[in-house]
Amino acid sequence: MTPPPGPLRVNGRPADLTGMPDSERLLDTLRWRLALKGTKEGCRTGDCGACTVLVDGRSTLSCLTLTREVDGSDVTTIDGAADDAEIARVSRAFAAAGALQCGYCTPGFVVALAGLLKERGSSAPVEELLDGLQGNLCRCTGYAAIVRGVALARAEAP
Amino acid sequence: MTGFELLVPASVEEAVAALRAGAADPPAVIAGGTDLLLDIDDGRVDPRRVLSLRRLPWRSLDWTDGALTVGSTLPLRSLEDDPEVRRRLPGLWQAVHAVGSVALRHRATLGGNLGRAAPASDLVPMLLALDAEVDLVGPRGDRRLSVDAFVRASRRTALLPDELIRSVRIPESRPSAYLWQRVRPANDISQIAVGVAFSPRERRWSVAVGGMPPRPALLAEVAHDLGDATPDDGVLRAAAVRASRAVSITSDQRASEEYRRRLVATLLLRAVRAVPLDGEGRP
Repeated sequence: MTPPPGPLRVNGRPADLTGMPDSERLLDTLRWRLALKGTKEGCRTGDCGACTVLVDGRSTLSCLTLTREVDGSDVTTIDGAADDAEIARVSRAFAAAGALQCGYCTPGFVVALAGLLKERGSSAPVEELLDGLQGNLCRCTGYAAIVRGVALARAEAP
Repeated sequence: MTGFELLVPASVEEAVAALRAGAADPPAVIAGGTDLLLDIDDGRVDPRRVLSLRRLPWRSLDWTDGALTVGSTLPLRSLEDDPEVRRRLPGLWQAVHAVGSVALRHRATLGGNLGRAAPASDLVPMLLALDAEVDLVGPRGDRRLSVDAFVRASRRTALLPDELIRSVRIPESRPSAYLWQRVRPANDISQIAVGVAFSPRERRWSVAVGGMPPRPALLAEVAHDLGDATPDDGVLRAAAVRASRAVSITSDQRASEEYRRRLVATLLLRAVRAVPLDGEGRP
């Protein structure tokens, strides 16, 4: 028997989820309950990647995740960039590469890439990183700069 | 959506008891939730209670005597990351890799994919070609069904309302391949997908086609035509033509019947040729 999970931590702080309905999605908890608006809602069907956050270091679609199902986990969002070295480094690389146009998809790309670098390390081939970002869509189609941002983030990872 | 209560049983016994107690209005079962939550959002299902499997000890992967057993709640990403899976069941690795995105595969599970039985599942065709079996637990004890017997039709399975999928068993390592065609390569649904595998023990091929409602299907006669080794070009082409005629396919918004039949032939040709061969050219 596994012990009941502990509280949810978001960007290093325990989250107050008093009165939260069981059916609430992690995306809504982050944006509306915790007022962390960096994580974006795109399609809400798991197709665009805009709502990507890290759950225990692994990229996760917050629109298709029940908050109650990740009780006890550490959730890291783009709003936690100050405390997460990987997210901070990818953010700087994207800024340096000009890897955004309207910017709406950017938090999802940054968090998804940070997750891949945590999973695979900076020695992962750039092709594998790009393959791993196939679930993130940029409606401005500014992909060329994003690809440069990925290469830069990889090169600057320790 | 009217909201629901989440039940999180801490043991298999508790989970089965909760299913039995609610038999009149059975709870929806959630593993990763990537498919169920979409259906709830779209109003196709509106459960009052949802039963979570997250605390059950089923996030497992085990190789014993050449057979692979995958716990039903293991995230697909963990299956994909097992180096033995990629080496010994290349077609399974390719099928898992074809599902959604990395972030989706961090939560989506093999048990969920089978239990939800989406007609366009990328995993069911490959599981069929690998002769995979499903292990179920319920109040009357355990039972094992072939994936072929388990998946009945679109969104319909042989799972009883008080049963749960514990694991999926693949009996042996098989040289195999899984190929698909989509409008977009990422985050899309396959118009047609073909899984092929060769059983070294029984020296026979198996062929399964997916991407067509109501469910993926095994093509036993086509597999038989491929013979007991690497088929030569004429045999392979004839089998591909036969496959394109054998499948029951209709047109829908994703592709026309004619295009799908051509895809079946083309993908079968390529898939058989993509199966890894040993030093002597045998699968």
